[in-house]
Amino acid sequence: MLKIKNLHAQVGDTQILQGLNLEVGPGEVHAIMGPNGSGKSTLASVLSGRESYEVTDGSVDFDGVDLLEMDASDRAREGLFLAFQYPVEIPGVSNMNFMKAAINGKRAHQGLDPIKGTDFLQKVKDCASLVELDGRLRDRSVNEGFSGGEKKRNEIFQMAMLEPKLAVLDETDSGLDIDALRVVSQGVNAMRNSDRSFIVITHYQRLLDHIVPDYVHVLSEGKIVKSGGKELALELEEKGYDWI
Amino acid sequence: MSQTEEDKLLNEVTGKSYEFGFTTDIESDTIAPGLNEDVIREISAKKNEPEWMLEWRLAAFKIWSEMEEPEWAHLEYPKPDLQAISYYSAPKKKTELKSLDEVDPELRKTMEKLGISLEEQKRLSGVAVDFVMDSVSVATSFKDKLAELGVIFCSLSEAIQEHPELVKKYIGTVVPQRDNYYAALNSAVFTDGSFCYIPKGVRCPMELSTYFRINEAGTGQFERTLLIADEGSYVSYLEGCTAPQRDENQLHAAVVEIVSLDDAEVKYSTVQNWYPGDEKGKGGVYNFVTKRGICYKRSKISWTQVETGSAVTWKYPSCILKGDDSIGEFFSVAVTNNMQQADTGTKMIHLGKRSRSTIISKGISAGNSQNSYRGLVKIHPGATNARNFSVCDSLLMSSTCGAHTFPYIEASNPTAKIEHEATTSKIGEDQIFYCQQRGIDEEEAIGLIVKGYAKEVLNKLPMEFAVEAQKLLTISLEGSVG
Amino acid sequence: MTGSKESFISNFKAPENSRGLRSQGDQYLVDLPVPGRRSERWKYSPISKLLNTSLNTCSGEGVVWPEEILPDPVPFLDSYRLVFRNGHYVSSLSDMPIDDDVICMPLSEVGAEFTNDYHKREWVGAMNAAYHQDGLFLKVSKNVSLDRPVVIHHLTDGADIAALPRHYIELEEGAGAEVVVWSSASEKSSGMCNGILEANVSSNAYLRVDKICNEAGEIFKFSHEYIKQERDSRVKINTFTIKGHWVRNELEIVANGPGTDSTFNGAYLPTGTEHVDNHTVMDHAYPNGTSSELYRGIMYDKSTGVFNGKVFVRKDAQQTNAFQQNSNIVADKGATINAKPELEIYADDVKCSHGCTVGQFDKEALFYLKSRGIGSDEAKALLVKAYVGDVISSVDREEVRNEILRLYSERHGWA
Repeated sequence: MLKIKNLHAQVGDTQILQGLNLEVGPGEVHAIMGPNGSGKSTLASVLSGRESYEVTDGSVDFDGVDLLEMDASDRAREGLFLAFQYPVEIPGVSNMNFMKAAINGKRAHQGLDPIKGTDFLQKVKDCASLVELDGRLRDRSVNEGFSGGEKKRNEIFQMAMLEPKLAVLDETDSGLDIDALRVVSQGVNAMRNSDRSFIVITHYQRLLDHIVPDYVHVLSEGKIVKSGGKELALELEEKGYDWI
Repeated sequence: MSQTEEDKLLNEVTGKSYEFGFTTDIESDTIAPGLNEDVIREISAKKNEPEWMLEWRLAAFKIWSEMEEPEWAHLEYPKPDLQAISYYSAPKKKTELKSLDEVDPELRKTMEKLGISLEEQKRLSGVAVDFVMDSVSVATSFKDKLAELGVIFCSLSEAIQEHPELVKKYIGTVVPQRDNYYAALNSAVFTDGSFCYIPKGVRCPMELSTYFRINEAGTGQFERTLLIADEGSYVSYLEGCTAPQRDENQLHAAVVEIVSLDDAEVKYSTVQNWYPGDEKGKGGVYNFVTKRGICYKRSKISWTQVETGSAVTWKYPSCILKGDDSIGEFFSVAVTNNMQQADTGTKMIHLGKRSRSTIISKGISAGNSQNSYRGLVKIHPGATNARNFSVCDSLLMSSTCGAHTFPYIEASNPTAKIEHEATTSKIGEDQIFYCQQRGIDEEEAIGLIVKGYAKEVLNKLPMEFAVEAQKLLTISLEGSVG
Repeated sequence: MTGSKESFISNFKAPENSRGLRSQGDQYLVDLPVPGRRSERWKYSPISKLLNTSLNTCSGEGVVWPEEILPDPVPFLDSYRLVFRNGHYVSSLSDMPIDDDVICMPLSEVGAEFTNDYHKREWVGAMNAAYHQDGLFLKVSKNVSLDRPVVIHHLTDGADIAALPRHYIELEEGAGAEVVVWSSASEKSSGMCNGILEANVSSNAYLRVDKICNEAGEIFKFSHEYIKQERDSRVKINTFTIKGHWVRNELEIVANGPGTDSTFNGAYLPTGTEHVDNHTVMDHAYPNGTSSELYRGIMYDKSTGVFNGKVFVRKDAQQTNAFQQNSNIVADKGATINAKPELEIYADDVKCSHGCTVGQFDKEALFYLKSRGIGSDEAKALLVKAYVGDVISSVDREEVRNEILRLYSERHGWA
């Protein structure tokens, strides 16, 4: 599914990723943990194609295609989804129009006709119930005036709508209370299947109580320094990052 | 977004050529260029006008001759040579048109290209259209239906013949001849325009619509619209404009007067896409327009405009809130691109007690264009408890354009409450990236964001018009507007 | 014949110094038009009444300082002081710093190279260039901070006076200075005070100016401050109009290098038929500049207030952060405010906003105070004080702050 080899990336003159290797197979859930500044969010940005991040070395193969060659929207259309740590507000653009444009962008990419109105509405209904997103939020402008928890739920709602092959959750648990965390995790878990993979980026172990990973990696100074099973997360929680 | 991609995108955005640039090849009856008293007499005679109308025009001409072209706007352009313009151009066949079938086939084609096939509109959308081409109204529809209600909707020339008492009573009462340089010029030489009268208590059942087009090369368009909403009536009026592509600059100096009597409500919507000139700033329309309405007791005038065209725009649709509890509104989206210059906004003159006004202006500047908001909110001493709320936002889409805000606030009453806010910002890279990450490409993302930015105003347009307005935003900025 | 621009200046006498500037002034007095209603910059502040008077410039001889006015306007402030009467330096009342790193003396004794071109743009400026008398010359050397504030006190005194002070400040790299520009006028004075201040603030230097107008009599007061800021310099200007028959404060700040910081605030509370006009220009021509502007006014009785704030962000001034807020209260029937906040933006990566309001005192707040047993007038005074207090609190020196507060309180009956 995803093969990251020797990835180096920088922002401005600061080298952040320094030779990162990671393989994610279909249906697998990988957690990436690490202290602040270790490069977790940079990884998410680089994978999704944010322009300000420059890849200086290495490769990323995504289901047989060279991910780094594509622009951000094509990566998304190929099935890569990023749940943002800080979802941006887009005033005046309704969530529904936004999702329609996104789905049809992907469908056009696949050579399909635009989605039928009735199908779209049914899909919205199904996905919204998954994360208990109420109708009011669906009709509002993208993320505008949403609380932190609502924004994160909206991210998972969008993920469900777009049915990605690989979802990268960037600190989805930050700023969430326990109820919102439960709802968001339920949404993610409901979407787990044998084809869909996840990279869960988090600073804290508590999210991993809800979204149980197959593998846990520890990122430090732009490299994966330790990998293991879900027990590794607990160990980290207990001993702190200094232990690494 | 990297610099080169942004450039490329902007190139595409700005490189879109004018889609409505075609001329209709029909015979025109044109007066030789130049302006003097004789020309005015000739216009008046050609139009078979009564003596009082001629006198009014001549008085305006005398005033205009003593005026100087204004220079205070944030605009730079070569002054149009007003002696090189022909002041009258009418299609030669002046036979009365009883049905649409009689309309010149060439003209019909033009209408179809514009996407306003009259018949279709008649059948589908219930819009009565008064089509003004180079200053003379050639086809109207729905007249009979409107006549049943007592609504008069015709060309101004026709109204001068058929309803002289109404025209005489109201013309020049809102925009007097001496109001400004171009209004005075218009008063002297106006060729045609629309006239509309809604009787007491009548709610006009359909949107009234006019399309203006400048066709003949080297002709100025001086149309004049007079709209009277009698007590307790309601009307929604739509005005759309296009001009064919021409290299030289064409002048458009129109006047719109609205009288909204007690308890009446007028919605006036404009979509303006006169030819803006090419990307180097060659050609394009000079749009110098005076639009003003007067509100009597408890009445309301609401201006909505989507401005994407013209090389130079100078336009301030305004409200004189004379009556107590009257309401004035101004909603505007102004897009400038390439070398376009726009200086537009509104004036809200509060005279009546508890009069209220709202101003929402959204400027979008791209290319090398200059986009200015200029507005006046004036609270007279007698306007107790008057309120105004203004928001003027500017969105910048290139590093070579300009966005400017010049609000004038004059308050002379201790109970006045005025709030003005303005912000200027760049289109957000984070927003574009967020859209891209969801599979929406950059171009479409920009369209989506711009449409969202202008939504508050676009929502004020009647449905039929909103679609066209969104199309225009798409054409002007190339973003996909779904 | 009175009323013409030639007749107005016909009795003026120019000192013998700075011939170059004066001859330019003479030329522009001929070339430039008199400010009138047709001019965008003067439409709310016509001066035709002034032009119909016949004024005289005074010589510096035979000075009698009026008893009712203290030469030291901020009595408790430990400061240097330069005192001027009708444009002329009064050495007996002054107290200047003696320091190798600081040149502080009357302009007439040194002469200065003024760089601003105000006299080429405005007739009023040309008048000052041609006929200016004396003023402050202050130059602070590299990396030196002046140990005490300098107070410039200008008094206009007498009937039909034309006073034309002109001040010059230069701060070298990393230098610092605080200046209080205080103007007063005696009860029976009339005429005009037309002053200019130019300050050149070099890189990494800082300048603070508190400008206070507290003039009795019937003076038409023009004052133009031109501040040029180089890279990473900081400037803070507070403009208070406490009292004045007809006042026009012009402030022009030119950011002439990147990373500048400019803060400028003002308050105006005209009463009677007073007229107070504040015109500000903030010109960002380089990247990474910050500017913050807050002006608040209350118009009482039949007074008129004018606010015009222009913010330019030029093409190369990316990452500029400009904020402007102007709030007004029209307190009485017959009072007027004319406000025009302007943004002219030619760079795209900027954050600029302005807000302008005209309103009343918060009725809820008034009611709340009254419900606690505070009388109506007292409650209003409390709210006014709080409203203007936000501006006063930006004055750094406590002594200056207190004096401003004391004068406002005295005038407006604040508790």
